[in-house]
Amino acid sequence: MSQQERDQHCLRRVGAGDSSALAELYDRYGSLIYSVALRILRSSADAEDAVQQAWVQVWRSAGTYDSRRGTVAAWLLTLGRTRALDLYRSLGSRRRAETRIEAAPVSAPSDPATDTARGQLGSRVREALDTLTPQQRQVLEIAYFEGLSQSEIAQRLQAPLGTVKSWTRQGLTRLKGLLPEEEWA
Amino acid sequence: MSGHRDEHLELCAGMALGALGEEDRRILERHLAEGCPDCEAALADFSASVVALATSAPVVEPSAALRARVLEAVSREPAGGGEKAAGSASIESRPTLRMPARRPNWSTWTWAAAAAALAIVSALQWNAAERLRVDLEGQRRQLTEAERRLAEERRWVEVLSAPQARVADLQITPAGAQALKARAVYDPRSRSAVLVFENFAAPQGKDYQLWALRPDGVASLGLIKSDAAGHATLRLENVGDPESLGGFAVSLEPAGGSPNPNAPTGPVVMAGKFAS
Repeated sequence: MSQQERDQHCLRRVGAGDSSALAELYDRYGSLIYSVALRILRSSADAEDAVQQAWVQVWRSAGTYDSRRGTVAAWLLTLGRTRALDLYRSLGSRRRAETRIEAAPVSAPSDPATDTARGQLGSRVREALDTLTPQQRQVLEIAYFEGLSQSEIAQRLQAPLGTVKSWTRQGLTRLKGLLPEEEWA
Repeated sequence: MSGHRDEHLELCAGMALGALGEEDRRILERHLAEGCPDCEAALADFSASVVALATSAPVVEPSAALRARVLEAVSREPAGGGEKAAGSASIESRPTLRMPARRPNWSTWTWAAAAAALAIVSALQWNAAERLRVDLEGQRRQLTEAERRLAEERRWVEVLSAPQARVADLQITPAGAQALKARAVYDPRSRSAVLVFENFAAPQGKDYQLWALRPDGVASLGLIKSDAAGHATLRLENVGDPESLGGFAVSLEPAGGSPNPNAPTGPVVMAGKFAS
């Protein structure tokens, strides 16, 4: 059974009200979702709030997951990122400007093997990002971690919208195949 | 059916990244609703790339207390989740209420008319409330956008005023027009740069292209699009690390930029290194 099949099975159990299935998904993807939220919000307290809201939403809307649009991992990340960006926008720029990047508390890893694998994957992805043109990389990072739409990015980079769309596609294409099939796909 | 086009794949990339504008999202949703195996496959691929992109965020383990908080919050929610996928509810499973058939009388019509009037009033009130909500939402979005722009401006002012900022005044080469002026300010800490150009209206069918100078060659930083007066300001992030970025150069290329993404093909009209 692939990881995606196991995740889908878990999500069905979540939809049926099985909180232990949610705990299983949390143990698998919790740190990834938290890391993304922290990168967006730059505050551990805000990231924790966003992550909590995201998992409650997973609990409420497990039945809306559509496997044709991507993996369970991708769906969970979308919910986590969306909640983090919502909070980022609602906090307002003043507080953000005052916020310093914190030395976030790092607890002992629960599964060193998974952690090492995640770290190695992150390194591979960062290496792949280094091979992109500055514009391709900028477009991906601004869109994903700052939540700007493609037309807002076009405005910021003073580039035509069509070019921003091409950079997006080229950038994501270069990141294709980096996820180990066994674990993620 | 509108048929699959290559542009749909670009929209799939934007959707997977969560960056599509409203209109593009509607176009792709409509296309997907008609059923397109190519786009579904592309969406799945791009989603996997986005998961990979997410892993580029530095790994930080959340505290054990957060896990407990999440499970506690979930335990207070009704079991089983409230929302279901569209079409997942079974019509047959809904309870039905059977009423004995009877002919409507005047009293029934009166009640029906009253109910209809009430429904219209409710709908009008709902519409007014909805308009108000949309207005409020619009105002909130404008405010958020204004705040974002202000924060953005502050960020670029920080680049310009950073004590460690490096400045490069670009000099005209023999191939460049005498009126050209350009200056670059680079902040090594944020790796961002602000470049200002004057008299940079490109000749017909040409574009000016900016390049980063590195020990192993040059890297394109994009086209310089000036306004009608020839003025342009570029704000660039991730320009390069301080050890390898030596300065900037500008070339005059065919419209759209150098056919070779790794080197200028037209004449280099300006170049400048950071003052040491």
